[in-house]
Amino acid sequence: MDIGRPQRIIEIEPVSLPLPEDAPDLDPEPLVPDPAEPRP
Amino acid sequence: MSAQRLQLETSTSSVEPVHAWRSWTLAGSRDGSRVRLMPIAGNGRPWPPGLPAAGSCTRHRTHKAPHVACTCGLHAVGDPDRLRQARDPAVFGSVALWGRVVEHEHGFRAELGYPQRLRLVCYLCFSLWGTHAPSECSVVVRHRGGRMVPLCEPHRELSLRYGYRMRTTLPARPIESALLSTYAVDPLPDPAWGFMAA
Repeated sequence: MDIGRPQRIIEIEPVSLPLPEDAPDLDPEPLVPDPAEPRP
Repeated sequence: MSAQRLQLETSTSSVEPVHAWRSWTLAGSRDGSRVRLMPIAGNGRPWPPGLPAAGSCTRHRTHKAPHVACTCGLHAVGDPDRLRQARDPAVFGSVALWGRVVEHEHGFRAELGYPQRLRLVCYLCFSLWGTHAPSECSVVVRHRGGRMVPLCEPHRELSLRYGYRMRTTLPARPIESALLSTYAVDPLPDPAWGFMAA
């Protein structure tokens, strides 16, 4: 997607991080792909 | 485009994150209870729940994203209707961006980001009507490998008529609830629409 030309650089150190306070479980359990379907 | 040729007003400092708009694809488990936001382009890694997503560069591993003379970093736009050009969006929402942020004419590339409000979108409605899409999603089609495609009822029926293969179809509402709960964020108001115009 075209977002045009760069215009300026901003360095942002937020006073409070915009993250949820009660974060859900952080386990990065990977999504397991389905087993391959048998070919007809 | 070389860094030398870019005459930028550099390093404005701020303590407020930038708020912008973006879309994602969606991946999830077979029963839809575990879902993750996936970038439409870039490194293909899911956005982690509860932690900032970090931009990276897949072309030049030596520089830190976002580099001013590259296209790397987490992308977002200022006008949500620009996302109509996005490829196969499944989720649309607002995002907070911080760290090093390169501001462009129509959007941003950022070092760090976290979603703020989210909503499932039917990609056909979204490409036709953008943020003014008239109907909500009724189902989510889950493809092999976990990719999920939300559809509204009219486009589900149309897709069936055209032979779009729907191996697994799940109701959309519980998937959207799982998404909001996973990232601990609020839904984008329905239709987004007054909220976005503000």
